[in-house]
Amino acid sequence: MTAHTPRILTEGETALVSALAEAGFSDHGDLRQKAIEALEANGLPTRRVEAFHYTDLRSMLKPGLKVAQRPSEDAAKTIGAEFPRLVSDAAVLHFRDGHFFDWGEELPEGVSVDANMPKPANESVDPSNTTGLINSAFAQSGVTVDIAENAEVSRTVGLAYAHTGVADTIAATRFAVNVGKNASCRLIERGVGRDGLRYLSSSVIDLDIGAGADVDFIISNEEGDAAQRLAQLNVQLGKDAKLNLFVLNLGGKLARQEINFDMNGEGIELKIAGVTLVGGDAHIDVTSRITHHAPHTNATETFRNVATGRGSGVFQGQINVRQAAQLTDARMACNTLLLSDDCDFSAKPELEIFADDVQCAHGATVADLEESYLFYLMARGIPEVQARRMLVRAFVAEVVEELEDEALVETLEGRIDAWMERHV
Amino acid sequence: MLEIKNLHVRIEEDGTEIIRGLNLSVAAGEVAAIMGPNGSGKSTLSYVLSGKEDYEVTEGSITYNGEDLLEMDVSERAAAGVFLAFQYPVEIPGVPTMTFLKEAMNSQRKERGEDELTTPEFIKLVRARAADLKIPFDMLKRPVNVGFSGGEKKRAEILQMSLLEPKLCILDETDSGLDIDALKIVSDGVNHLRDPNRAVIVITHYQRLLDHIVPDTVHVLSKGQIVKSGDKSLALELEAKGYADIIEAAA
Repeated sequence: MTAHTPRILTEGETALVSALAEAGFSDHGDLRQKAIEALEANGLPTRRVEAFHYTDLRSMLKPGLKVAQRPSEDAAKTIGAEFPRLVSDAAVLHFRDGHFFDWGEELPEGVSVDANMPKPANESVDPSNTTGLINSAFAQSGVTVDIAENAEVSRTVGLAYAHTGVADTIAATRFAVNVGKNASCRLIERGVGRDGLRYLSSSVIDLDIGAGADVDFIISNEEGDAAQRLAQLNVQLGKDAKLNLFVLNLGGKLARQEINFDMNGEGIELKIAGVTLVGGDAHIDVTSRITHHAPHTNATETFRNVATGRGSGVFQGQINVRQAAQLTDARMACNTLLLSDDCDFSAKPELEIFADDVQCAHGATVADLEESYLFYLMARGIPEVQARRMLVRAFVAEVVEELEDEALVETLEGRIDAWMERHV
Repeated sequence: MLEIKNLHVRIEEDGTEIIRGLNLSVAAGEVAAIMGPNGSGKSTLSYVLSGKEDYEVTEGSITYNGEDLLEMDVSERAAAGVFLAFQYPVEIPGVPTMTFLKEAMNSQRKERGEDELTTPEFIKLVRARAADLKIPFDMLKRPVNVGFSGGEKKRAEILQMSLLEPKLCILDETDSGLDIDALKIVSDGVNHLRDPNRAVIVITHYQRLLDHIVPDTVHVLSKGQIVKSGDKSLALELEAKGYADIIEAAA
């Protein structure tokens, strides 16, 4: 007879269970309870779990974690000033330590915001969705953003969260963004925090893009260098919808960004571009899943990664083409520069194709900086460090510059330059 | 200006000795041509002078304006006025030419303790020098050398030289891959830079270039040594008789 003994919880799992018990949330009680029970039952994923093979969550959570309290208005405003906006005229919804601060930001026409935290789009408790479960258990606030049908939204809408400065706290937000049919808009999700501060930042966004809508979405991970970040973007795309997603990933000691796409109608155009910069002893993971459910959909995904110091990076790119999804065109590229002996990068493509008339391509490259380029630049008097930075910048600029908005490109390149000044 | 004494150089990777006891001195204001058959060490000499890493100096010295050139790294040599016009300039995708030129000029100025150029000053200067070399300004909007023809690359090298105003110019087979018109433009560019305070080393296989850039001295390089030196008439003699006779006679 096999005795069904309960699992012995790891330190990290115990930390989560007690953090939730202590937090005393008054809302979404049932959802939180189910999520934490699923975590208790299945545990945090070990490296034997395929999706987490390269990222060990067990080592990241330490006892003593607490859900962050609402900071003072002063503290909330001070931190904002430390991290200037990516787009100066954006309408930004502010979150601090997981709590919403409604500072009466004027919304552009066609945009409405419901300040009640949304439920996750997928309420079923999927034990393999660790990132989602942690968010379901701990989300303190969040909003639903609705973009009206046919609206041409004039200004960028920002979802900005920052950590104000209490160590060993969890800050979690959950967003729903619904873009109506034929609407067009640009959204930015941005996470920031001070260096040297250990905190867990959790974010889940459910983005529903209606038929014919055209969306630019930017994710900027500028968390502090001791932060842990677990973020997930789940996108549903309708017929003829268009999404340009850009991901800048340069913050956190341990960061995992999951991006999931369901291509539900014909004629969808999905373009994903990203830059992951990993230095010091940071670990940054981008895990992407694109599922083509309908015929005639296009997806291109390009990541440029730079690893240095003792940094380690991960890119997992899954493309699923369902049987109905004939004439899919899916392309994925992952190019990496390894600048030091002690850094590493793992790139894993996964293609699962059930349709017979499709085009799918994937490629990955890993290289150091080209010596002949470096020599040429130095032979013109550019010191080695500057020459290296110029070449790294050139390597990532190709994907950043596809954003086409010059001011935004310049701002993002400024963030990249600042990272390089510390790490290259 | 440049004093090379008993220089021995080998390829770091496999230890092959390329330069074997080379002596050469070039004075300020002088244009020195170095000629020699394939494999004699001409390009190696240009790389050693500019500081490329793949070579190891095992013996001898290079003194440049009284300083030990071998003690300086690549960018320090450039800032001190050493300029190599590459035989095969590399294409560097993603680095805009103008950004590169500005960074190069201002890095050198900074290293020498001079004020950096402002953007308007810089653009004005580039426009003027590019026009002299018949380089369309639009070409400079592309990344460094990307999509340039062979001739355009060589002209771009001379543009860099005229902007950086080096003291010691080394032209490594600048004539290769040039048609007659381009050869003329490039030579005019170089002649324009002839100056009592500037030395030029012209490395070439052919007399043809020396019709345009008339040298003060000509040196024949063979098996890593200068085997014969003379004035411009030596180049004509080489052209008439070939290397074999001269090298044999010198041996």
